[in-house]
Amino acid sequence: MPSAVPGFAPTLDSYLRSLKGHAHLDLTIQSLVDLLKRRQISGPEDCALATANCLRQVVAKSKWTDADTLLANVSRAGSKLMRARPNELVIGNIVRRVLGLIRDEATEDRNDGAPSETPSEGQMTPIGEMSQSFHSSAPTEAPRRPGPVGAASSANIPRSLSMLLSAKDVADNEGTISPFGNSGTSTPLHRTTNSQVHALRSEVINGIQEIIDEMGQVDDQIAAHAEVQIRPGDHILVYHPSPTVQRFILRAAQKRKFTLLIHCMPQPRGATGHDNYRALRDKLKSQGVQSIVMTTGGGMSYMSRVNKMIIGASAITANGGVVSENFSTIVAAAAKHHRVPIVVLAGVYKLSPECPYTQETAVEFADPMQHVDFSDGSLVHAVEVKAGLTAFLPANLIDTYITNLGTHTWEHLSGLISDHYAEEDVNLHLKAPQDA
Amino acid sequence: MAAVAPAPGPAQAGQGPEATPPPEATVQDTQDENQSKTKDDPEPPKPAPAAQSAKPAKGGQQPKADQPAGEKKLSGAELKKKAKEEKAARRAQAKAASGVAPQGPPGQQQGQDKGGKGVKPKQDAPSGSQSQRQAAKPVAAPAPPKETKPKVPVIFSHLSMAKRISLQQTDKDVDPRITLLGQQMAAFVVDDSTTRTQATLLAMKRVLAAYSTPQGTTFSRHFTAHVLNPQIDYLAACRPMCFSMGNAIRWLKLQISKVDIDLADFEAKRALSEAIDNYIRDKIDVAGPVIAEKTNALIKDKDTILTYGHHFLVERTLWLAKESGKDVNVIVIDDPFNPVGSEFAKRLRAYGFGKIKYSPNLGLLPDYLKLADLVLAGAEATFSNGAMYARAGTADVAMYAKNMNVKFVSLCETINYTERVSVDSLTYNEIDPEMCTEDGVRLLFDTVLPEHIHRTINEMGLSEPSSISGMLRKQEEQE
Repeated sequence: MPSAVPGFAPTLDSYLRSLKGHAHLDLTIQSLVDLLKRRQISGPEDCALATANCLRQVVAKSKWTDADTLLANVSRAGSKLMRARPNELVIGNIVRRVLGLIRDEATEDRNDGAPSETPSEGQMTPIGEMSQSFHSSAPTEAPRRPGPVGAASSANIPRSLSMLLSAKDVADNEGTISPFGNSGTSTPLHRTTNSQVHALRSEVINGIQEIIDEMGQVDDQIAAHAEVQIRPGDHILVYHPSPTVQRFILRAAQKRKFTLLIHCMPQPRGATGHDNYRALRDKLKSQGVQSIVMTTGGGMSYMSRVNKMIIGASAITANGGVVSENFSTIVAAAAKHHRVPIVVLAGVYKLSPECPYTQETAVEFADPMQHVDFSDGSLVHAVEVKAGLTAFLPANLIDTYITNLGTHTWEHLSGLISDHYAEEDVNLHLKAPQDA
Repeated sequence: MAAVAPAPGPAQAGQGPEATPPPEATVQDTQDENQSKTKDDPEPPKPAPAAQSAKPAKGGQQPKADQPAGEKKLSGAELKKKAKEEKAARRAQAKAASGVAPQGPPGQQQGQDKGGKGVKPKQDAPSGSQSQRQAAKPVAAPAPPKETKPKVPVIFSHLSMAKRISLQQTDKDVDPRITLLGQQMAAFVVDDSTTRTQATLLAMKRVLAAYSTPQGTTFSRHFTAHVLNPQIDYLAACRPMCFSMGNAIRWLKLQISKVDIDLADFEAKRALSEAIDNYIRDKIDVAGPVIAEKTNALIKDKDTILTYGHHFLVERTLWLAKESGKDVNVIVIDDPFNPVGSEFAKRLRAYGFGKIKYSPNLGLLPDYLKLADLVLAGAEATFSNGAMYARAGTADVAMYAKNMNVKFVSLCETINYTERVSVDSLTYNEIDPEMCTEDGVRLLFDTVLPEHIHRTINEMGLSEPSSISGMLRKQEEQE
């Protein structure tokens, strides 16, 4: 049973460790659902990582003899995870990515006349080695690997684009294969042999590993754009910087002398160790970059000094809006009012094909205990206390999106979405649960 | 700062939850208390010189002409003696004050390492140019030991800040009552601009009562330069003066300058203190209820009112709305760094409000504005371009309210109006001395732009922000 280290609350690490054991697959999924529901795994990065690892187990351990069954297995497990945390859009993104990956690999397998030419040869290397060599080997291998891998490793859009086209071509020409349908009635792959299943399995697992590797590299790749965005003498504003934003700022600090304004909220009651990003500020100081902690009720009071605001996103929705820290809506609106450009940083895996929100709204609510003492009877009894945790920023507030693939405008996002997700999976979240 | 002890709240809460809301009353109370305490102590040093000098002054103007040199020498020695006595009195007063002041001054005096400055007339703009000019005159401060300025990030270094001045560093000319008030202001115990102005005027009234014109000079010439200005400088050093204090002091100086030279001391003093009482009555005591009444007229039954932080004018308005039988929902959004709103929400409950929503920061503002019909906010000051100077975060509320088509109404007594113009929040602002380091700052105020304000309500009526400059000009003509 994937249980936590005795005496300690389970975390992402302990969950990942538990995956190495021989737990039953259903337990693996269920324990992640529980961890997500209890918020013992939270934050988009951790949720995405846990989801990808869990789905890898599904691919490796579940019983399947053809791609359709595998798709059904994965989407069943995936929708369980998505329902565990409906507001964490990245979970759905990862599930869709894996589904798309399976579709691509299966399509290709089917189209391969000669299995010996399967490009998966290059991927049969052990996973650990892959992850290390991925970055350097990708450019050289790229020409030899036509489609499927490209779809997974989003480091290269054109490849995945060509793949989409070729896949469609083939499907049209043969006319025998309908896309692996949501209906599940499409012709199954009768010809699948044991070896083909084996090959598909390892290809998909490799593909998932690449998604995981991609997530690990996102921050670095985004940070590469820092120097372009931040100019000497700028006053850059961040609100409770995420690790991605911190990396970005630190990269810029290597080349540029600017001033960083960090807007912070007071530490919630009972929390400890809130040091107003002391570590980040110390590192910046050693680079000669001044940082100022702004502790002010609103954003308007100092916004006239700011040149650019940088927001780390928890998710980007299909309509270009951003899910981020609750109060950042207010700061961003103040920035917008002062015509301060707003830059959003997010790995492309955070870009979701869903758009559940359209205007400014709170997405999740925080624990009011953090703000009001429960012993304060006159307040607890009579007054409705609410505080936000995350909020949605509509697209009209945002000027630029920076992902690991580059800098994008709002218009660009729909292209990115169609590159990364199969059309069939876009509405995954709307489908009725497939299992009891 | 007041994050620990919400500003004027505690004293008021002591009066019971059902008490009517005027927080000004508390100032009066504490002041009266101070008076009763101080009356025993600092009076003794005064009568001695007063008795000597008052009689000749009454007798006529001849002594002044007769003995110019001798009298002056004598008065010099006398002054020294008086100063010594005053100092002793001040010490006694400080001891007495430690019992009175809501925030223990012992603590205040300990935490003074950073305020290692003498009386330096560094005042916020509001003090007005004329007082600044006169500020240069008074007796040189006793050579401040070291200028250890609190460190502020460069981009905010133009903003001023309240600071604690230890009693040792206090100028000897500063009256004990003013010392107490200055300490209360520096500790943000007396916080909002109207209350500060009222407290200042009341304290000045007592300084005036204890004053007697020394021989060889006249009241109107001597009082302003030698008594009033050091007090004002001290207050401005404790905390940058707010705009209304500037207005009130300018008015007071004008009144003093109008005093007839031939008028007897006691008559002049009586006339002035009467004028101060009238001023407080007209500009503060009456203005508040009138504003509440006018604002109440904008509130309809079943309305939802959103307000930010706490301001006594808003509280009074809501109380009045409840009293007039309206069923009103209130949303209180708090300033996360000075959560005065939570006490406010409790008091609203005590007034009988049924549906109160409270949020500890602005994060949920968009969601709450969807429910709101009206946003009320009390102003710290109003600029002549119609901009409103208020608690930091108010500008965000106003901007969002405008975006979402909710009416934003600012409440402000005319005493808080200033002829200055501000177009951005960093023109005039103040830094919280308790949350200020070399690399961290909390701004206390921001400026709500006129285009975000639907109406400004003062005791003369409702006005559009654009009409304020005209109103100010008219007011000036009347004076």
